[in-house]
Amino acid sequence: MSSILIVEDEQHLAEGLRFNLEAEGYQVHVVDTGEAALELLPPGQNRFDVVVLDVMLPGKDGFTVISELRQAGQFVPTLMLTARGHPDDVLKGFAAGADDYLTKPFELGILIARIRGLLRRSEWLRAATAQPEAKDSFRFNGKTVNFDRLELRVRDQVFPLTLMEANVLRFLIQHEGKPVSRKLMLEEVWSLREDTDTRAIDNFIVRLRRYIEDDPTHPRHLLTVRGVGYRFVAAPAEAG
Amino acid sequence: MVLPGRKKSIAFFIALGVGLISVILLLYIGWVLLNWRTGIQLFLGALLLIMLIAGVVLNTVFLVREIRRNEQHDAFINAVTHELKTPVASIRLYLETLQTRALEETKRQEFYRIMLDDSDRLLGTIEQILRTGRIGAARGPLNLTRIDLGEVVETCIERARNLYHAPEGSIRYQTGPRAAVLGDLDEVKAAVSNLIDNAVKYSGTDVNVTVETAIVDAKYVSVRVHDEGPGIPKSELKQIFKRFYRVPGQLATRVKGTGLGLYIVRSVAKRHGGRAWAESEGPGRGSTFVLELPIAK
Repeated sequence: MSSILIVEDEQHLAEGLRFNLEAEGYQVHVVDTGEAALELLPPGQNRFDVVVLDVMLPGKDGFTVISELRQAGQFVPTLMLTARGHPDDVLKGFAAGADDYLTKPFELGILIARIRGLLRRSEWLRAATAQPEAKDSFRFNGKTVNFDRLELRVRDQVFPLTLMEANVLRFLIQHEGKPVSRKLMLEEVWSLREDTDTRAIDNFIVRLRRYIEDDPTHPRHLLTVRGVGYRFVAAPAEAG
Repeated sequence: MVLPGRKKSIAFFIALGVGLISVILLLYIGWVLLNWRTGIQLFLGALLLIMLIAGVVLNTVFLVREIRRNEQHDAFINAVTHELKTPVASIRLYLETLQTRALEETKRQEFYRIMLDDSDRLLGTIEQILRTGRIGAARGPLNLTRIDLGEVVETCIERARNLYHAPEGSIRYQTGPRAAVLGDLDEVKAAVSNLIDNAVKYSGTDVNVTVETAIVDAKYVSVRVHDEGPGIPKSELKQIFKRFYRVPGQLATRVKGTGLGLYIVRSVAKRHGGRAWAESEGPGRGSTFVLELPIAK
């Protein structure tokens, strides 16, 4: 049974969510502060499969909580659920390390579908880790992406990846050499509808470039395709 | 968040003001050295200089004030967005639950009660915003009637007990001598309700609120609302009555609000020829809010 942590200080909402998610067959735990959530989510432990995180919390707000979790190496799939729907807030959420973002008021069906989506992706990743390592890592130009361990090795440096960063990279690698539109990535990686702001992706690309490019301002692997999206090149031709 | 940017722009405008004044002074000193013999011109120059400096100072003051106001406005929009959207999200969630799941009768009744609470909260926020608009902009006429203050307090306490499910005895009314005020029933009720609501909301789990009515002198009657809550720092006692203002810190995120309640209390008091203020020994030592209104002759 998958277990879900709800971080929400509005008691009515938290109880409504608990009732519905339990009815869906999940094990649900509710806390009302960011500090309590951080205590329950120590790095390296996977007590919860998904976290539903509010932004306006007493004490540490949701943005702070998610970025502290990510910095500490806790990469549990996290959906931010908040009244703040301004594009800047959405981008801030993704930049802080959220995997998904939903604004209040929300449709119950959509919330459940998104939680299922996050769970499904972690299951795929887990299933993939059960296979030989060679299948679940990708080497290019002296760099190795290890999807099961969610890390990227560049020479002797190791960068931890979030689940969504790994998914974005995997998706681009699967389409190696071909341009991939932002819209397609939003649909396939995030299961988001097309009216969503596509700039969120750019944040992921900026971060990935920092990891895999020798010079992030002149990318050679993660190329921008003007007006379309991005293209991954495993072995770029030498300049000149 | 956005705040550091604002602080930077305030600092920039103050620096700009100071810089401009220094340039003017330098130019003036140079001019005096060149023209010290011509007395009238010197006098006119001094006058012009004072006017210029006053202009720069005024400009800087207004800019800084405008930036602060913007800052409060943004905080208000955030708080209102939260206060309006949260109950709607909750009502919607429970409606969808009722629509899609087979529920026992007791659960169903519980969900109805939650939705009614949320709709009350929503209505409260909407009324607060509309009242602020009426009081602030139109300064509309008061619908004056003779009001029994004790009755108003009792109604407001009853309302707060139901709204916050406060246990018996947690909100007490110490009745004083009967007193009537000449006022707008709707507004006086809103003001007293806001004071009691605040006392309950900020008390947290341990609600211990006392409301008193008393005749101050031949002209005024007062309502005192005392709580054992977190108290208010001395420096904030006046600020909290300003529109959109909320005491910065953890408490403002724990207790949800729009920053309009006390502004309404003070405006209602002023419109009726009375006054409102807060007393507190400091953080952790409770607080008392007083609303003074003229007695009906």
